[in-house]
Amino acid sequence: MDISRERIGNGIYLNKVITHKFKSNLISINLIRPLERSEVSLNSLLSQVLGRGTTDLNSKAKLERKLEELYGAHLSVNISKRGERQVLRISMEWADSRFTKDETYEKEVIKVFRDILFSPQMEDERFRESLVEGEKKNLINKIESKVNDKRTFALNRCIEEMCKGEAFSIYQLGYVEDVEGITSKSLTDHYKSILNDSQIEIIYVGKDKSLIDGSLVPEEYLDRKNIVEVPREYIPNENFQKNHIVEKEDVSQGKLVVGYRSNIPYEDNLYSALLLGNEIFGGGPNSKLFKDVREKNSLAYYVGTNLIKHKSIILLDAGIDIKNYQKTMDIIQTQLDDMKKGDFQDEDMEIAKKAIKTSSQSIIDSPHLMGEFTLGKIISKDGRSLDMMIDDIEKVSREDIIAAMNTITLDTIYFMTAKEVEYNEGN
Amino acid sequence: MKAIENKSLSETIYFKELSNGIRLFYFPKKDFTKKYAIFTTNYGSINNRFRIDEESEIISLPEGIAHFLEHKLFEDEDEDIFTKFAQNGAFVNAYTNFNQTSYLFYSTDNFYDNLDLLVNFVQNPYITDENVDKEKGIIAQEIEMYVDNPKWRVFFNCLKGLYHYHPVRIDIAGTVDSIMEITKDDLLTAYRTFYNPSNMVLFVVGDLDMERVVNTVESAGKKYEITNNKVSTLFDNEPREVRTRIVEDHMSTSKPLFYLGIKDNNLGQKGAEAVKKDIITNIILDMLFSDSSDFYHELYDKGLIDKSFGAYYTGKDNYGHSFIIGQTQDPKLLNSLILEVFKDYNKYINNENFLRIKKKEIGQFLMGFNSIEFIANNLTDLYFQDFLLIDYLDVLNSIDYKDIEDRLKEHFDEEYTTLSIIWPNNGNDLSRDGDI
Repeated sequence: MDISRERIGNGIYLNKVITHKFKSNLISINLIRPLERSEVSLNSLLSQVLGRGTTDLNSKAKLERKLEELYGAHLSVNISKRGERQVLRISMEWADSRFTKDETYEKEVIKVFRDILFSPQMEDERFRESLVEGEKKNLINKIESKVNDKRTFALNRCIEEMCKGEAFSIYQLGYVEDVEGITSKSLTDHYKSILNDSQIEIIYVGKDKSLIDGSLVPEEYLDRKNIVEVPREYIPNENFQKNHIVEKEDVSQGKLVVGYRSNIPYEDNLYSALLLGNEIFGGGPNSKLFKDVREKNSLAYYVGTNLIKHKSIILLDAGIDIKNYQKTMDIIQTQLDDMKKGDFQDEDMEIAKKAIKTSSQSIIDSPHLMGEFTLGKIISKDGRSLDMMIDDIEKVSREDIIAAMNTITLDTIYFMTAKEVEYNEGN
Repeated sequence: MKAIENKSLSETIYFKELSNGIRLFYFPKKDFTKKYAIFTTNYGSINNRFRIDEESEIISLPEGIAHFLEHKLFEDEDEDIFTKFAQNGAFVNAYTNFNQTSYLFYSTDNFYDNLDLLVNFVQNPYITDENVDKEKGIIAQEIEMYVDNPKWRVFFNCLKGLYHYHPVRIDIAGTVDSIMEITKDDLLTAYRTFYNPSNMVLFVVGDLDMERVVNTVESAGKKYEITNNKVSTLFDNEPREVRTRIVEDHMSTSKPLFYLGIKDNNLGQKGAEAVKKDIITNIILDMLFSDSSDFYHELYDKGLIDKSFGAYYTGKDNYGHSFIIGQTQDPKLLNSLILEVFKDYNKYINNENFLRIKKKEIGQFLMGFNSIEFIANNLTDLYFQDFLLIDYLDVLNSIDYKDIEDRLKEHFDEEYTTLSIIWPNNGNDLSRDGDI
């Protein structure tokens, strides 16, 4: 596996992972934007509009038919939230010509891919009015449908309350009232402006060194002047809110989300210890929460934690019987206290190290994970290789984990409960 | 050991039936770090009424028993199974569907130790009254999680409308009431009946040494006295007609959810024939309802569907159905437009579309081989239909336009459809300020 990074223009980089072990090629182009209310809905709508066609393939049907002809090349245009950044991504994965035994189509795949961002369908130098209006409606539907998945909805609500006033609270798909106000002119203007000032990262995972080169980006963009630098996320040190939010919904199971903060940023040496501490506390089926909340007390089917890297936030989520709220919270608190006191086995630590090692080593078996890993390193300006990261995990001591866990403070408890059930905190 | 090669895919798969009765397949995946094993019994939620042999009486077990048993096999007398795998840096998991229960792990190190563990824990149940009771609370929460999921509800409501008796209409995990009835004896009955090596298969995928794989499984596997299992699952005669043409329900959703099912009445195929029918039906559904079809865009431009719209076929030898699904403002109008297409499909179906979609299927199948999980899970699923995954491309290539036309006439019939709708609850708003 041969990994390289090359600057091909001001703020434009081409990252290549050359390997022969996959049956496909994967390329993505990532525009890195600040996560801000003023543009989050624009970026989100833009991803929908760009996915509808190109100058040559000027309808969704034509685009999709072309992709089918190209052996089902898989195109995706989407936005994602990475810390306090919003990444607009166009990606294309296609079956490698060694296996389709057809040499004719790979150049065409690249052209379609390039055109999605740089040659979208326009009329009078604007996105077509009817196209923009149609996609506005679709995006609004999509935003509104987040209420359908109660577990994810609860997670988002907790982040929103916990990080009020921080960019991280912004919902990545955008906001209905902001989408409503977008016009074809404002969207076109925004499109042009982000092409001119975004950091652009192109990532290729595949066999061919020469298939992808600087010509992927039109010359006019190579010499751009002002590139927006997204600042590193703010990690608050104190004054946590101690929120306690209860909301009633049409659910039969209570959805509990607990947000904790640590003040260890990912650049800090102790961050590896936080990662391990989180793994022991709520990382997987060997974690304290899984063993105690689920296996010992039969309170939940799913219970676990996630460490949000860019914000040093730990989010715990569990689906529980509503009447067991207090009992569950008590157990969670005891388990966290135990972690802080160092009340965990050396074996737990070894197991957590192995779990992280296995997950890390598996990254190189998937083109998608390799792409994600590459982008993650760029965003967090982390120059370490996979092996170095694993090494840093191996070196963590028990004392480090205790120190890291002692930086954790409760910030917000969010509980979604049923409409008809009387919720009583003290029972 | 038998090597089965497929030239067009340039892949080889190795098979051996071991002296302990375990049937073992090895699929080499050179240069992959991750190694994967999946041990499966041909026993799922639909097998809850059966006979051990022709003379014995009919046994009926509570709904959700196969899934409950899956949970319980993770018990061990001394240390729990999760911990044992975790000590070796492996991730272990299991799942139950309508037809199978699978136990699996992946790891990068200590593969052979993990393989030994896998075979051992699946073959040595440790089930007590106490640990059965303990599991009820956990599974009840698992069921409640699905109860709150509108997509799951609209899907099962559709199955309940399509089928009168076939147990595919029963929720895989059962209900909170049905699992409360489950006893240790029920679980052991199910175990003894369905976890016999003759009913099971083990797939191993990765960059491994076949001989060592064989030796590991050979020494880990338990000797079974009876390997020639004559168990038969009993199904009542399922009428051709659907049970009900429409099922409506209410939940907290932003828009109505739409699930149109078509019951397949051409059943009984096995092997390549079954796979061929499956691919043909899915190609038709793509031709009519995927986002490369004209019909899709007519609906999209009317604002009737969004990106959630799609269709797929799934089936086994004793049941099968197509689903056309999505969220829509007007489910009844959408339904009538789709049913129109069943009668008047010529507008949307032609040889050019067919060839293009076939090409897509080829590419997507090839890309699937990037994933160890895709390979092992599909190998397993198709194995129980008497088919080897590596022959898939040959079947796909054998399909011609005539097959498409025949299947269209046969399967896409309004009379055999059930429409399931979830309507949004009224006054669906959270009492809080601000926007979310």
